Amino acid sequence: MLFSGIPFLYYFLPAVMACYFLAPKSLKNTVLLLFSLVFYAWGEPKFVVLMAVTIVVFYICGLAIGKAKLKPWRRFWLILSALAGVGFLAIFKYADFFIGSFNKVTGLSVPLLRLALPIGISFYTFQSLSYTIDVYRNNVPAQKNIIHFATYVTLFPQLIAGPIVRYVDVNRELENRVHNWEDILSGIRRFLLGLGKKILIADQFALLIKLFRESQNPSVLFYWMYAIAFMLSIYFDFSGYSDMAIGLGRIFGFHFPENFRYPYISKSITEFWRRWHISLGSWFRDYVYIPMGGNRVKPLRWVWNILTVWLLTGLWHGAAWNFVLWGLLFAAVLLIEKWIPALQKLPGVLKHGYVLLLICVSFVIFNADGLSQAGSDLQSMFGFGNLPVVTGETLYYLKSFAILFGVGILGATPLAKWAGERVSRTRSGAILELFVLIALLLVCTAYLVDGSFSPFLYFRF
Amino acid sequence: MKRTIRTVSGILVIALWAGLAAFAWFAPKKTVSQAERRPLQQMPQITWNDLQNGSFMGQFETYCLDQFPLRDNFRSLKALWSYHILDYQDNNGIYTEDGHVAKLDFPLNETSVQYAINRFTTIYETYLKDTGSKVYMTVIPDKNFYLAEENGYPAMDYETLFQKVNAGMPWAQTVDITKALDISCYYKTDSHWRQEMILPVAAKLCVAMNAAPPDPQAFTESLASDSFRGVYYGQSALPLDGEDLYLLESEMLNACRVYNHETKTYTGIYDLEKLSGYDPYDVFLSGAQALLTIENPNAESDRELIVFRDSFGSCLVPLLLREYGKVTVVDIRYIRLDLLAENVEFNGQDVLFAYSASILNNSASLK
Repeated sequence: MLFSGIPFLYYFLPAVMACYFLAPKSLKNTVLLLFSLVFYAWGEPKFVVLMAVTIVVFYICGLAIGKAKLKPWRRFWLILSALAGVGFLAIFKYADFFIGSFNKVTGLSVPLLRLALPIGISFYTFQSLSYTIDVYRNNVPAQKNIIHFATYVTLFPQLIAGPIVRYVDVNRELENRVHNWEDILSGIRRFLLGLGKKILIADQFALLIKLFRESQNPSVLFYWMYAIAFMLSIYFDFSGYSDMAIGLGRIFGFHFPENFRYPYISKSITEFWRRWHISLGSWFRDYVYIPMGGNRVKPLRWVWNILTVWLLTGLWHGAAWNFVLWGLLFAAVLLIEKWIPALQKLPGVLKHGYVLLLICVSFVIFNADGLSQAGSDLQSMFGFGNLPVVTGETLYYLKSFAILFGVGILGATPLAKWAGERVSRTRSGAILELFVLIALLLVCTAYLVDGSFSPFLYFRF
Repeated sequence: MKRTIRTVSGILVIALWAGLAAFAWFAPKKTVSQAERRPLQQMPQITWNDLQNGSFMGQFETYCLDQFPLRDNFRSLKALWSYHILDYQDNNGIYTEDGHVAKLDFPLNETSVQYAINRFTTIYETYLKDTGSKVYMTVIPDKNFYLAEENGYPAMDYETLFQKVNAGMPWAQTVDITKALDISCYYKTDSHWRQEMILPVAAKLCVAMNAAPPDPQAFTESLASDSFRGVYYGQSALPLDGEDLYLLESEMLNACRVYNHETKTYTGIYDLEKLSGYDPYDVFLSGAQALLTIENPNAESDRELIVFRDSFGSCLVPLLLREYGKVTVVDIRYIRLDLLAENVEFNGQDVLFAYSASILNNSASLK
């Protein structure tokens, strides 16, 4: 089920809210768990079983790590949980990629598994891994109540698209959380803002991308419009979804970490990754990069650490070679930024320009259907595709989407938030905020009713 | 004070949300959408199988969209937002210009045009080649021909379309009717032309076929509906006014009988019952029909005509009848070519192919 769909907004959410707030405190997690399972089963009924197995395995491993006195035993249970989590990911997400690549290299024809990808498997596996690792590190006690633990793994606000909420971030709230009017209102506000970002901006760019892909008269300019549209689409899509998740969490008394902080204003790729999908970056930093030694190792080992982390980051996003290339591209740029500090002394405009260009190119690789399409898209963008610079069709769509581009570009900066905060400080601003929220709800509903929404981009991860 | 306003704001938003949700859950359900001209999804049955394979979920989502309260109003809100806030030039491919609503149709799909030409050529080779029939072809320009390019909308390459049809059908005499029309000859909210405005087109075709053109004096305009809302009304979801739909009536037309080979029934030229159906334009020759035979007892000669046509032909054919005692009207979107021989005798009649540019550009439906 998608947050940005009529069944969620007008059937599921009202039902879960009514049951949740009517339920006594002791049953609130049970209500959330049951509804979360329905939420998950709505899209993938059969994969509820896989999720249940994941919950039981990590629950038992967590308890065992907590109870074991000897380090080898603690390590054993940790490795067992890691093998289970990574094993499920390997089977369901990566097996066909590796088999296919093996077949290509060797010329053999090992049959593919052809398994469907369970929705959100990367998110809930990483969350579960963070639990057993943190229990192993004594950062957090093992959860004895399986309902609480299952609620954490399945919690529908962040189940399928993050942010990747670590157990340590919510373990207290799982057992004892406060509900207040202020949180509920701010949660609704955040949810509606996220919904607006997703439906009114991201999905509109997705429409332009669809028109671009269908076009029989592309041009160099149209390729650049596509590249920028995808940059904006994925940002508003994913950050909108994160906003909705954070807002929903707040309604139910949880405080999830922020996942985006205006990444497109970054002046370096290092900074970009501190602002983009923060929960994933920090997960890899804390659970992979630092345990490998981080940067406190010999230079060659450090290069190896960076390459490994970014290879994994690429593969986390998808089991295909273009994602591998995408991850390694960032690894290379991060190494260059570390090795050439003079880059940071360039004028701000140049630094912005370089970051935006590189991200633009990286997302063209990211969104391509394989390396071959990535290559041909980039060729066309840079004028090597034997295409006209511009066509009448391109100009038509440029004119048609000009305002959306303006809104998207401004909205990707802190300007809108800054203006919103300044206006809302006044009494009339508070009234204006009411109209904005009502308008967001109604216009988003109008777009959904007209059936023009597109599925969440990060679903495939 | 600000805090109070915020709290009241929150309550109002929640109340609106909850109200819409309650309406969605409990409001009576509709069976059809007049604006969209289609039946609406009803609540699907819950079965274990459908739950397991996810088809219940898919149907339920369609049900939610179809039955959402104030659906038409919300669709209008979306259209208005797209046009006026985002300044989109079109909404779902629909654009408005000079009060006319039209649908973008570009670029020229030469493969599709060639497919249509191949179908027509098969008809010629199979049924017409050795009969001595005189064959005519006319491409009916769609609204985009008069609206799109000059107003900055992308359009198909009509020049190439006409050239391709000319070159691909050397066995037919092509008749250019583009100059006999302008945008006012079309309904504002529909894709089709207005019957009362196409007498010059009918005249041009009749002259080309060496037949007597329709006599404008013989017809009277009869107002069939003053609130006709065409196919683009529903698709655009814009709050558009209905328009007048006129029928051209004459003694000759009143005396005609139309035989429907599928239903084996007779009707008149105008099927007035259709005025209250999904598409009032179906009043002309009962709309989409595979095979009709018009018997014209008051024809000025005993010549016969076969018209291969799409929906534009429905209101054109009655204006071609003056000299034809029998007119066979074929729509090959609804009848296989090999079935034609069972129902139509090809024996040297005049033959007219009348197809709109949009059908030629999207010809997959031609059988």
